[in-house]
Amino acid sequence: MPNWNRLQKNSFLECSARERAVGLVDDGTFVELGGPFDRLVSPHLVALGEAVENDDGIVTGVGRIGDRPVFVISQEGRFIGGSVGEVGGAKMVGIIDMAIDFHDRLVADHPDLPASARPLVAISFETGGVRLHEANAGLLAHAEVMDALQRARHKVPVVALIGSRIGCFGGMGFVAAATDAIIMSEFGRLGLTGPEVIEQEMGKDEFDASNRALVYRTTGGRHKYVMGDANFLVDDTVAAFRAQLAELCKLPVASFEPMRRIGSPELVEKQLRGVALAVELKPTDARDVWRHAGNNDPVGLADGPLSDFRKSVRRLAL
Amino acid sequence: METLLGQGRAAIDLIVDAGSFTEGKVGARTFDDPDFGPGAVVGTALLEGETVTVIASDADAFNEKFPVVYSGVIGLEEGYKMAQAVYATLAADAEKEAARKRPIVLIVDTPGNGPGKVEEIFGMNKATGAYQLALAEARLAGHPIVAMVVGRAISGAFLCHGLQADRILSLTSEFQTMIHVMPITSVSRIIKKDVELLEGLAKSNPVFAAGPAFFYKLGGVEQLVETIDGMRPAIAAQIAGIRKAKADGAATLTGPRGRGSLGAERGGRVVRPKVQELLRSEFAAVEERFRPRVA
Repeated sequence: MPNWNRLQKNSFLECSARERAVGLVDDGTFVELGGPFDRLVSPHLVALGEAVENDDGIVTGVGRIGDRPVFVISQEGRFIGGSVGEVGGAKMVGIIDMAIDFHDRLVADHPDLPASARPLVAISFETGGVRLHEANAGLLAHAEVMDALQRARHKVPVVALIGSRIGCFGGMGFVAAATDAIIMSEFGRLGLTGPEVIEQEMGKDEFDASNRALVYRTTGGRHKYVMGDANFLVDDTVAAFRAQLAELCKLPVASFEPMRRIGSPELVEKQLRGVALAVELKPTDARDVWRHAGNNDPVGLADGPLSDFRKSVRRLAL
Repeated sequence: METLLGQGRAAIDLIVDAGSFTEGKVGARTFDDPDFGPGAVVGTALLEGETVTVIASDADAFNEKFPVVYSGVIGLEEGYKMAQAVYATLAADAEKEAARKRPIVLIVDTPGNGPGKVEEIFGMNKATGAYQLALAEARLAGHPIVAMVVGRAISGAFLCHGLQADRILSLTSEFQTMIHVMPITSVSRIIKKDVELLEGLAKSNPVFAAGPAFFYKLGGVEQLVETIDGMRPAIAAQIAGIRKAKADGAATLTGPRGRGSLGAERGGRVVRPKVQELLRSEFAAVEERFRPRVA
């Protein structure tokens, strides 16, 4: 088990899925469920003669932040890009379901249970989405995760943490969008179609995937924060992600609704104002939207230190 | 053999009661702007006499504002428009008891979600995510949702327009229907395995194969429909079946998790339930530690 205190200072970007899971909750409280000793390997990778991991590239478990039981899902990008197949999807759904069931049992036993002692789900994403080696099973698993998120609504808050190498793309981009709150670092990336796929489908003129700065400008944490897609933009340390998550742990589930991007007719209307703005602005670069939001020097703002960015950035009002 | 590929509008007319489809009207809501999300066809119709909401894609439409949207692609406007149609359906029946809420029929023929730079700048993941959440909310509120695959049901677009339904039906592959994340040739290139090997393995393991028959084995499609005339009665029968399942309090028998159980029954996804059972038993052993520390 990694040293918890040392872990806090580590770069979130560099951490493994297990380190993130352990470091996000209080010292010594994390219990892994469906861990490596259970050998929950993908039967489909075995059939293909591919290497397997005993946790299928996803760490699941439960810990505490203060009095709050925090159910953790943490994806490992080093194993097939954090891709989601039958086993990984079942682990995700299983954890969210347990958080909901546990919530219902606790509230039945203690109707006045304070928010700070009710379950919460934290998902540390690092994934390109569906695992192609078991594509159809992965797709069906994604739909189940989405269903589980809707079932958690108004009961168990679900918080997304995005700051690992692969980012969060593909079908898991939908899932992240559908969570209650999103915490990102500037190195986190969130989207649907990955840069390489856009370049392949639409050509290099539309999107040059080798242009790292362009990729970060389009899907990176700073941009998602300007767009309101990320609620919080934190430093790249485990401690910073954990501190923000701990703040959220103090809140009742109703306080999460205003943080949402989607999930109600009103929020759809709001997002459509953004779509109308896209038509009006015809942006060829994320910078155009930053400028429209009131940031006169988007280049300087993007290049400066994160602390200056947080102080001076104007976020898009829709 | 005939095909409905690329003919979402024709498919509507073949499925609902003759002449009953009113486009652009769902409950009290109207969709008047013909240039708004033209790839998404939404409206109200009768199916064997019952009022239903219909949502389909129009492969002939081109969204001039978002050039990646053509051929039935679900773009930013289309995703949100489809979500609005679902919310309008919820609003229309808000006062009705769960068992009497109107069905939603999704006619599926879509090749994908809008893959563009503007889409990523503004967050394409939100548009289709919004549609999925709306469908999940409607399903959990009691609206029976049936998806009918008549053409292409591909990857992320199928996730939003289809996979949140209570039940999914598909015309068989003779009608050129396609259900997959990616064609097997592309899977082969990306995961670096011979097509022949994958095709051989697909006979016993349908997880990476393309097509409705393989999806059926995984429990991803509840029923295959063999004739065009068979679609309407099959959908009506499914609606009745969904209502019964929901009335029996077995909401988990339909929708994505219903298809999970079906996947195990049909031998396509047998590990999924074991994983979840294991997680439950392991948590039960430590649950006490996470209960409130109260006197």
